[in-house]
Amino acid sequence: MITQVSQPVLEVHDLTVSYDQHPVLWNVDLSLPAGQLIGILGPNGAGKSTLIKSIMGLIQPTSGYIKIFDKPLAEVRSRISYVPQRESVDWNFPASVLDVVVMGTYGKLGLFRRPGKKEVQIAQDALDQVGMMAFSKRQISELSGGQQQRVFIARALAQQADLYLMDEPFAGVDMATETAIFQLLQDMARAGKTVLVVHHDIHSAMNFFEWCIMLNLHLVASGPKDQVMTEELLRKTYGGKLNLLTQVTDLIRKQDFNPLKS
Amino acid sequence: MEDFLYFFTFQDPSITWVVLGITLLGIGSAYVGTFSFLDKKALLGDAISHAVLPGICVGFVLAGEKDPRYIVTGAFLSGALATFLSSWLKQHTKLSEDSIIASILSIFFGIGIVALTALQKSGNPEIAGLNSFIFGNAIGIAEADLFLYGGLSLAILIVLTLFLKEFRLMVFDPGFGNAIGFPMKGIRFIFNVLLILAVVIGIQAIGVVLMAALLITPGAAARFWTDRLQPLLLLAAFFSILSGILGTYVSFVVPQMPTGPWVVVFLSLIALISFIFSPKSGIIKRFIARRSYLNKTHRDHLMKALFKAKEVNKGRMTLKEIYGLYPFHKKEIAHSLQLLTRQGLVIQDSQGVQLSSQGTSDAMRIVRLHRLWEVYLNEFMNIAPDHVHESAEQMEHLLTPELEALLEQRLNYPTLDPHQETIPRESHDI
Repeated sequence: MITQVSQPVLEVHDLTVSYDQHPVLWNVDLSLPAGQLIGILGPNGAGKSTLIKSIMGLIQPTSGYIKIFDKPLAEVRSRISYVPQRESVDWNFPASVLDVVVMGTYGKLGLFRRPGKKEVQIAQDALDQVGMMAFSKRQISELSGGQQQRVFIARALAQQADLYLMDEPFAGVDMATETAIFQLLQDMARAGKTVLVVHHDIHSAMNFFEWCIMLNLHLVASGPKDQVMTEELLRKTYGGKLNLLTQVTDLIRKQDFNPLKS
Repeated sequence: MEDFLYFFTFQDPSITWVVLGITLLGIGSAYVGTFSFLDKKALLGDAISHAVLPGICVGFVLAGEKDPRYIVTGAFLSGALATFLSSWLKQHTKLSEDSIIASILSIFFGIGIVALTALQKSGNPEIAGLNSFIFGNAIGIAEADLFLYGGLSLAILIVLTLFLKEFRLMVFDPGFGNAIGFPMKGIRFIFNVLLILAVVIGIQAIGVVLMAALLITPGAAARFWTDRLQPLLLLAAFFSILSGILGTYVSFVVPQMPTGPWVVVFLSLIALISFIFSPKSGIIKRFIARRSYLNKTHRDHLMKALFKAKEVNKGRMTLKEIYGLYPFHKKEIAHSLQLLTRQGLVIQDSQGVQLSSQGTSDAMRIVRLHRLWEVYLNEFMNIAPDHVHESAEQMEHLLTPELEALLEQRLNYPTLDPHQETIPRESHDI
């Protein structure tokens, strides 16, 4: 059940990704419509983060390519915003909330130029949108998990992009915050932005996403929520390990070279 | 005293130069070192500083004398080779980073010592000065050399100021840096060059063995005092300059005294003071916080006992009864009693001790928190009634008024705790 769209915001073409010699995504081929809130669902180790990182160019794919706004990544990078997993950084780093959010403006600033009044204003607006204005001077290690997550989302907002890629933005977030952030993301989608979210909770996914991508090492489904959130496809996605595929992965790992690399 | 005045009034122009040099060196190495400390790459700096020794020897052999240009170039190249090797080995082998760094440090330093010993046997009269590279000798620096070392320090400072935003990103979130299209590999490369340069400029004054201390300790000590990057850098630089000048002073006053170890002694002293006295996380601060919390628990327990006496319609308790309840904490209870009396929460007379009306209300709150928490554990966390007391004994001292309100609301203002004891409230609350 894979729905392709014409004039996609994002086109992933036959993407295969492996870490060292360990394939984690097989032949993912999908295209996504603009202005929607899109969820990437799947069990642990299904390759959800890998897909996002490949789109962002942080991992070199073994084969396949990605086009964003019908162009290669390098040409449209300033129109894409990225929220990494919260645990990927050291929150003891000496910085205030505002310092971190201002980083969202670095991309448009470019190298060497220092952030000024305009950048601080953008960052403050972004903080306001996620309801963290009161914390702008706070040291980041003093924040709760949910507040740290909102700081990361504010940093992404400060990038002022058209496509947002978010890696598990709801990990460690309480229900009230989750709903508030989802509403913010829905507003963004309504304003024409495309928001791609790696998510693990099927229940809230049902409520908030308009389009869902379901992964389990390969692409199980991609399409409007009503069509893909079926019992059969959910079972395919979450129903245990794909025994054969796992065995093939082990076989590849035992080789002295990576046979998938051309 | 004479020496002190002579040194610190800078009558001798050569002292002025040395102090200026050590100041520049201190700022440069503290800035670079603070970033590498925040990046958790402190060991790499140590490996590089040991690894420059073979380069110093090669530079000396090629120049035939102690020419700082040859020696600095040799040291730089040798440090660069060590840095490159450590990242290459990390990428291409399964060795862990700490074993790679430990091997590189010892192998390069070993080769360096062998080369140095061989040179000493060669009988070249110039060799004497080469030994100072091991532990450093700031006073022995010639004026001409100072221009080279000072110039390099200045270059480090300029590049760091220029790249402040980029280095901040490199340490905090390099993945995000890649995502916004910054050349993070190139930025890391420039940082490594600065790190090696920071080591190289310190070898004459501080020596290869101890240079890592000058890189890492200032930042680590300063981290105790501030949570912001810019003040952190400034404070680290200040610590570094201070100990640099003091170390130079000692090696000036005492003949044959190397500079490096003394700089490290002063730096360690600063770090120790920071560790003890930091208002944020120093051990004195933590000790006081713990003491005042323990005192509060003793006061709470005393008030609870008096409140429970009141609950069974026993107006007051005798001192003997109170001490009987806490046979192992007599001293603390006596102290608490004194303090509570002074605060007007407890009234003592010839017949015994009782709570004042304000004291009754405070004690009631402690008992209420205890019992509310027991209800919460029992109802929401399915913990059996005979298992909830221990946890409540701790939480009664901690729960805030906000959490109390939330508990009341969630539990819907219960009247009884799991042991069928009344949850006490003020009459106007009910």
